[in-house]
Amino acid sequence: MKGAVRTADGLRRITIMQGETKVSDDPDAVLTTVLGSCISACLFDSVAKVGGLNHFLLAEPGSGETDVTSLQRYGVYAMEVLINAMLAMGATRTNLKARIYGGASLRDGFRDIGTTNALFARRFLRDERIALVGEDVGGYGARRVEFRPTLGLARCRIANIRPVEQLRVTPVPVPVAAVGDVEFF
Amino acid sequence: MRPTYPNEGISVSSTIMTVDDSPSMRMLLRAALTDLGYTVLEAEDGVQALERLDGVEPDLLITDINMPRLDGFGLIEKVREQDRHRNLPILVLTTESSDEKKQRARSAGATGWIVKPFHPDKLAAAIRRVLH
Repeated sequence: MKGAVRTADGLRRITIMQGETKVSDDPDAVLTTVLGSCISACLFDSVAKVGGLNHFLLAEPGSGETDVTSLQRYGVYAMEVLINAMLAMGATRTNLKARIYGGASLRDGFRDIGTTNALFARRFLRDERIALVGEDVGGYGARRVEFRPTLGLARCRIANIRPVEQLRVTPVPVPVAAVGDVEFF
Repeated sequence: MRPTYPNEGISVSSTIMTVDDSPSMRMLLRAALTDLGYTVLEAEDGVQALERLDGVEPDLLITDINMPRLDGFGLIEKVREQDRHRNLPILVLTTESSDEKKQRARSAGATGWIVKPFHPDKLAAAIRRVLH
């Protein structure tokens, strides 16, 4: 599999980049990602032994879409893609539990994106009645998250103390060509 | 005392029923559609949508595909079995974009297909097109 590396401990590490989602029922899989102001939600169903994570930013500053509703559309979309992938692999909605990571502070002059991202993730989970069982959000450091999808266990470390701005990558947004595309039958 | 108006209680806007298992998505849709002046009814899956459709006649149905109990495909088929809803426009609003799924929705009787995340302007244009 692309991006998967089997290490000496026999585990298969799969790196998730911004804008991506990955779900797995492989007991040897470790889903890993590095976060600045972005958010990763790790969802798991301990009965079906399925887990997954996404990695998203609500919107880029200067993208023009800064009103609350526009921001939420991206977040809700990113979460729905993850939830649908979980259900497709056998998870049950009512069994889902969540951990959230990231949302480090990054002031761009008019709002704190990291805090906005973290608040969105918490509110989404509450609205969707998905239990939030762990989180490590906010602060100023970048984070490396390692998630065992079938166990629902996550390890989150501060990757380094460089300002998160340096770790920001060019956003890989949702497939723009398809966004809001309308087709009549 | 609250004033009364001649048209009070008479709905002049079109009514749209949204069907989605995600409360967050239903809230986003409600906000967008209310802004556009539409009256919004909601259901959280296909089964609840069918129950609600028993008592009301919306001008448009907007449905998700992946839902528990009865998914969007099943809902469209059931709605089309009823004479009174035969001409009800049905727009699918989903994260899916595969041709196979679009074809399934088309065969079931859907009017159109919109890929999430929806853009409010595109959604508004699609709605206007099927309502007139």
